Amino acid sequence: MVGRKSLDALIRLYALQNVLLGLLAFVLAEGELHFILAGLGLLLIKGVLIPLYLFRLLERLGISHEVESYLSIPLSLLLGGLLAGVGFWVGRSFVLEGARLPEAVPVAIGLILLGMLFMVSRKKAVTQVLGFLALENGVFLLALAETHGLPLFIEIGVALDAFAAVVLAGVLIFRIKETFQHIDTARMRELKG
Amino acid sequence: MLYLLLLLPLLPALYALRERTPARLASLSLGAAWFSLALGLLAQNQASGPLRLDGVGLFYLLLTDFIFGLVALYARAYFQESQDQEAWRFFAAGNLFLFAMHGAFLAHNLGLLWIFVEGSTLASALLVYHKGGARALEATWKYLMLGSVGIALGLIGVILVYALLGGTTLDWQEAREWARTASAAQLGLAFAFLLVGFGTKVGLFPLHAWLPDAHSEAPSPASALLSGTLLNVAFYALLRYTALLGSAGLFEKAALLLQSFGLISLLAAGLFLFAQKDFKRLLAYSSMEHMGLAVYALGLGLPWLAMLHTLFHSLLKTAAFLGAGNLLLAYRSKLIARVGGVYQAWPAGAWVFLLALLGLAGLPPFGLFFAEFQALLASAPWAMGLYLLGLVSAFAGLLWPLSQMIYGPGTLPHRPQGQSLVLVPGVLLAVGLFLGLLPPVELVKTWAEVLAWTR
Repeated sequence: MVGRKSLDALIRLYALQNVLLGLLAFVLAEGELHFILAGLGLLLIKGVLIPLYLFRLLERLGISHEVESYLSIPLSLLLGGLLAGVGFWVGRSFVLEGARLPEAVPVAIGLILLGMLFMVSRKKAVTQVLGFLALENGVFLLALAETHGLPLFIEIGVALDAFAAVVLAGVLIFRIKETFQHIDTARMRELKG
Repeated sequence: MLYLLLLLPLLPALYALRERTPARLASLSLGAAWFSLALGLLAQNQASGPLRLDGVGLFYLLLTDFIFGLVALYARAYFQESQDQEAWRFFAAGNLFLFAMHGAFLAHNLGLLWIFVEGSTLASALLVYHKGGARALEATWKYLMLGSVGIALGLIGVILVYALLGGTTLDWQEAREWARTASAAQLGLAFAFLLVGFGTKVGLFPLHAWLPDAHSEAPSPASALLSGTLLNVAFYALLRYTALLGSAGLFEKAALLLQSFGLISLLAAGLFLFAQKDFKRLLAYSSMEHMGLAVYALGLGLPWLAMLHTLFHSLLKTAAFLGAGNLLLAYRSKLIARVGGVYQAWPAGAWVFLLALLGLAGLPPFGLFFAEFQALLASAPWAMGLYLLGLVSAFAGLLWPLSQMIYGPGTLPHRPQGQSLVLVPGVLLAVGLFLGLLPPVELVKTWAEVLAWTR
């Protein structure tokens, strides 16, 4: 994710990540209805709806599909690797007693950190949204790994909040494009102090 | 009844999509909000499903509905005066926001609380955006991104708490009973995440970056709602989690974090106040100061005092933002340097702004003086000096620009019409003054009893 230059590839990667997360939820479900429903909801909202919405957004914006970064790709990869390492290191102290899938906890923490790196180091507004979504997936993975998953109606509420946030961000990106003729957040710096 | 209370604000929100006359929308919003106020009083201590209305929830529900009704009344005159055809956007987003607030105050399930707090962020982003424009867009974008990341970190805290309780319950009451069984170190870690997450929304330093931008770029009635009600909802979540930590016997751990975050925000806001050229940003930094003070009071182990502080702050700050809206209507500029001579040309407009800012600076007989004095008495010696330093610097930072604006040279280009422009902040000030003279300490203490923990 940190090394990719094409936005389309990133969105496909995000969709794939969600399909895998959904499958993980199914595996962990052990036939319990609650998890199967949560997994299905996840697949539908995050694996299908959000990626489709993002593709449509990119198409209608008519901007280059290239990821622009403050950092060069090698530096990004290096930093990403470092953060993943930090995630694994710190993640161990996050493993709680009775965690369902202790191995996944450091992965989740690493994903959260990488999402943050992505948000702060990329210029385009769309890529910041992708960073946020990666972070959100990390949080979801953490919930799967530490507990039996949050209660179903909470899980669905959280996913709906994420979906609403992405739609709202999409509308804002359109307006940003109309107003500034670009979606480079680095060049939005009217407000200070 | 609780579900009715929850869904009531959706009525005007949906109505705004069809009917776009501000007059009707304002009356309907006022009606729905104040009817909820009465319903809330009747529904105290009721429970159904994941909803329950206890003392703390009721306290903030009443405060929010009271303020929201008045702001709706003001908004009608404000948008009429500024010849804004898009006033319905404010009423639609505002009522959606009120729905999320109701949800948060009614939710007794910590997960549901999180969902509604995030919902209030999304709805208030619409309030900030209003009609758009380059500056509003930048502010909204910043708010949405920072707010979402902050609250996602808060969700990590919620998940950790849930895992520590063995994945059995997220009900606040049950969680408090179970909390003693959880590992102390890891519950502390969860609290750190919750403090950072909800603290971003409370506007604690250094997580406050969104706050001045959003407050200054939103239309003034929306800024009043942000400062008077939105900051409270995140603070309310902190109240609940601090009580949770308290019943696990870990209050000392939370206290240190809360006190230091509170004091740092106070001192930072005190400094930022001096650098401001825009009077709405000035008020925004004053919100940061007072939320820092409220968090500090919570860190002293006095939830009732923290609640009282947010009560006085909400009343006075709403009045101040509405007063600032009047000045913006008159001068069509947010720059302090452009405003002058209000007192000669428009005494009523000058008085409401002046009194609100005097109250916010902590002068008696307004209630913030009482709350700050109580907090000072309860402070540890090392904190007292810092606390006073912060108060003095905020006092000077707030009142120096104020004297320039009210008494400095300048002429009023245009005097806004509309009675509610002065009447609404006047009512808020009168209530603030009355409660300042007779602080409802016993009542708030009774309401805060659900938060009590044994040390």
